[in-house]
Amino acid sequence: MIEYRQIHKSFDHPVLSGVDLDVEQGEMFALFGPSGTGKSVLLKTTIALIQPDWGDVRIEGESVYADERTLFRARRKVGYVFQNAALFDSLNVFENVEMGIPEEELRTTPRMDIARRIWEALELVNLEPRVVLPKIPSELSGGMRKRVGIARAIVGRPKILLWDEPTTGLDPVNTAAVERLITRLSEELEVTSLVVTHDIEGGLDMCDRVAMLDGGRLRFCGTPNEFRQSDDPVVQAFVDRAAAERALDMAETQ
Amino acid sequence: MNVDSSAGPIPTPVFRWFRRFGRGSELVFDHAGAIGVLFLSVLRATVRLQVPMRAFIRQIYVMGVESLPIVFVTGALAGIVTSQQGGYQMTGAIPQYVLGSLVVQTVVLEMGPVLTAIVLVGRVGARITAELGTMKVSEQIDAYHSLSRDPIALIAAPRVLAGVIAMPALVGFADIVGILAGMIAANIDSGLGFSSFFYGARLFWHSYDLFYSFAKAVVFGLAIPLISVHMGFRTKGGAEGVGRTTTDAVMFMTLTVLILDAMFPPLLLN
Ligand SMILES: Nc1ncnc2c1ncn2[C@@H]1O[C@H](COP(=O)(O)OP(=O)(O)OP(=O)(O)O)[C@@H](O)[C@H]1O
Ligand SMILES: [Mg+2]
Repeated sequence: MIEYRQIHKSFDHPVLSGVDLDVEQGEMFALFGPSGTGKSVLLKTTIALIQPDWGDVRIEGESVYADERTLFRARRKVGYVFQNAALFDSLNVFENVEMGIPEEELRTTPRMDIARRIWEALELVNLEPRVVLPKIPSELSGGMRKRVGIARAIVGRPKILLWDEPTTGLDPVNTAAVERLITRLSEELEVTSLVVTHDIEGGLDMCDRVAMLDGGRLRFCGTPNEFRQSDDPVVQAFVDRAAAERALDMAETQ
Repeated sequence: MNVDSSAGPIPTPVFRWFRRFGRGSELVFDHAGAIGVLFLSVLRATVRLQVPMRAFIRQIYVMGVESLPIVFVTGALAGIVTSQQGGYQMTGAIPQYVLGSLVVQTVVLEMGPVLTAIVLVGRVGARITAELGTMKVSEQIDAYHSLSRDPIALIAAPRVLAGVIAMPALVGFADIVGILAGMIAANIDSGLGFSSFFYGARLFWHSYDLFYSFAKAVVFGLAIPLISVHMGFRTKGGAEGVGRTTTDAVMFMTLTVLILDAMFPPLLLN
């Protein structure tokens, strides 16, 4: 499980001002919020890609910020799906996904097994391994890059997955595939998933609990039903706007 | 202590000037400290043998081999210009063979190292900053950390090590090309024979000069990749930020090369 305690972070302006959040073992948790409220920043504080000014994060009871060793262990347990895929430009898809496997495992595992794991990870995200393996990121579409990024995050068999907008920019078929993948990982392998998403409906359908970040704090935290029935005007306005945007998207694609 | 200097009671021009100067020097120390830390981290990754050989060899190729044509041109021009300039100034009682010494010493002590360094600032330094800056703003550096890989060992160290090794080789190459070009130019312009040229060169030659040239090369070869990597890692603000940081880095590296060059005579030529 992941516990965020009083996370504070300012850049030139305050972004997070006291976020408390617990994500349980094996849970699927969706985090909503308007653009620019610090959802990505909060995800990054989980494994110290951004250091909070104040506060602590615990992963399976162990503070990430205690020392270098606990941070290293935390990073080994966590897979991170970046908002913009963040593939390594100079490496091909095979090498990119291979980076998701910890170094010690690469040294001790036969090459054939490594190759099979990379192959399977790509199949899980609906990519044709034979076609994409030798390509470099600039030869892929945005949606394909995103899915390679997901393959890289899951190939190391993490216990916790942090997803930064995994379905943004994907077509409906691949959106459904990624959502199925998140559900399967959670149900079959007890992987804990914290999903940042703009797809409110998708998040509500899929996740056990949801939260909404607004103004540097959690405005809401509860089950999808509680979220739908919330009488908080800010939450209602957000849900309405999301529904309107979704309707607009639908109209545009038709 | 946390004093808000903007709330100071005497905003006179002098005071403001000092404040700006204070901030400027703070910035210099900030960069210098960070570059020092980067240097030590690179050293640590190197002695722990964490630097990937393939990346290192690739950087040697990019910095060293691919720079040969432009270094050839600048080296040759440096030799030719020195030779013409010297020939023009040496009239009257000065024996002509002194021109040999003038060309060799100017090229080896000054032109070879400095011009090669300036060329590498543009060719290699700018490229490294832009490349690493792009990696930073597209979250690739974060991705290395999230996968428990060390970007210092994988990205910074191959570039710094390649700089330290490629630079002396390039300077040696520039020295040789510069001397030969200067010799040919002296022959054409002033009719100085090759053997007199060498006679003059040998007459005033100290083997220490060669050490001096290579010492400069090593220092520049260290400074250029260190600064460019440091600036690249600090990039923020998207594609625009990459452009801005690259320009800053080129300024920073050019100034550093010229300042370091000016520090050599008092330190090593006494
Ligand atoms: N490394 C950084 N340096 C400076 N400011 C930053 C940095 N990272 C984020 N910010 C600022 O923090 C704020 C929150 O950014 P963040 O990326 O977390 O938003 P977000 O909620 O993920 O938005 P979106 O839904 O658009 O991705 C923004 O104002 C952003 O400018
Ligand atoms: Mg974001």
